[in-house]
Amino acid sequence: MKKTAEIVVIGGGVIGTSIAYFLSKRGKKVVLVEREDLASGSSGACDIDIILQSKNPGIHLKLAMASAELYKSLSQELDFDIEYENTGGMILIEDEEQLKVMKEFVKKQKAIGLQVDLLDFKEASKLQKGLAPHLVGATYSPQDAHVNPMSLCIGFAQAAAKLGAEISLDTAIVDIKTAKGRVKSVVTNRGEIETETVVNAAGVFAPEICAMVGMSVPIKPRRGQIIVTEPVPKLVMGDVLCAKYIVAKYNPKLLEGSDDPETRLGVGLSLSQTRNGNILIGGCREFVGYNWSTTYEALTTILKHATRLVPALKEIHAIRSFAGLRPYTPDGLPLLGPVEGIEGFIMAAGHEGDGIALSPITGKIISDIILEGKTFIDIAPLSPGRFGNTEKIKAVS
Amino acid sequence: MKEEYICRCEEITREEIEKAIADGATTLSGIKKRTRAGMGLCQGRTCRRLITQMLSKVKDPAEITPPTSRPPVRAIKIGEIVEGEDD
Repeated sequence: MKKTAEIVVIGGGVIGTSIAYFLSKRGKKVVLVEREDLASGSSGACDIDIILQSKNPGIHLKLAMASAELYKSLSQELDFDIEYENTGGMILIEDEEQLKVMKEFVKKQKAIGLQVDLLDFKEASKLQKGLAPHLVGATYSPQDAHVNPMSLCIGFAQAAAKLGAEISLDTAIVDIKTAKGRVKSVVTNRGEIETETVVNAAGVFAPEICAMVGMSVPIKPRRGQIIVTEPVPKLVMGDVLCAKYIVAKYNPKLLEGSDDPETRLGVGLSLSQTRNGNILIGGCREFVGYNWSTTYEALTTILKHATRLVPALKEIHAIRSFAGLRPYTPDGLPLLGPVEGIEGFIMAAGHEGDGIALSPITGKIISDIILEGKTFIDIAPLSPGRFGNTEKIKAVS
Repeated sequence: MKEEYICRCEEITREEIEKAIADGATTLSGIKKRTRAGMGLCQGRTCRRLITQMLSKVKDPAEITPPTSRPPVRAIKIGEIVEGEDD
């Protein structure tokens, strides 16, 4: 018994569920196919930050700012408590050299319209208690926010289901059938679904799905590790990063072959406190393939770095750690939009560590593209074929 | 009807876990992500078996994957982890 769907969305993380919701809201009949469970990949192994300050000044930041607007009313819209809170956030600065880099970063972000300021140590200490006295200051933006990514996935999925979407969990994609350069159907382990439109929102597994249509994509897993503390009264003001985090994120070349474990592991502070009071302490950036292990070296290095900047953390108990994989792309931007050479195959993957921040806007953009063929922003820089990676498609289809 | 707490650390009731199973959770991890059961101080030592029993009504017990064990083994002061490194 063959099923049919107007659109099949592959992936039950924050990107796939957001797309399923936005399409359902606009009257499309969607089947969302997820190999395991909602939020079982990167969306369930990350922190809670919706940070605008960590985005590269350019289309990256513009997308995040548009997304932040959508977040404000999302809990009401989904009729689901996603634990959204507009907390504000800061990036701690340790020395004059970092200050120079951050001054430049802030100037560019301001030009795009982000509310962000440089604070001296005294001003920063008013916002965040327990900072190390050697810090020279911090940047601060009132626009940063928090959300519970797991609730976000479930909220999107349940809202999509209420609007008629079918959420098919525990369902693996086996093949994608094409004919004359068009998508015809997806084959799953639970049967075939005839469809003309497939959205690949499989995150770090997007390359597997792309291979089914003869497309290669330079999405690589980039591991992060996080320590979870016992619940404590409010200690962390919002999203607290450090300048090293920005450097590690955008300059992977600088990290290679360093003797210093902190640099080699791409360690950069990311602190946030959940509504329940648990503090999440991250993070690092490592290219170690599809490996979800936590490592003693990374966890201790992250904690050393974090306590050097915020010594107050030393008194708190760690109760758990976890690792997650970010879908990294060489230019730090996601692959969004239709794939040339294969009608009906749409990419929405490769958001690296910004998937949570960008999930609402990604849902909106993909639904715009499918329904109207265009969106509010020129997405040419996000084109899935920009790495010259769609050469073999025509041969396959 | 008295509320029956399955996860004491996070105060999650039997009813909440049943709701998560109805929502499609088939693993301990799926229950955890929907309810917070197992996210507390004891990291599921108490509720894990009870939740597994509940899951076994909808899934073959042999197929219920154990949750990922992650360090630390028990709650430990961050200061002790960091200072232990310097010895």
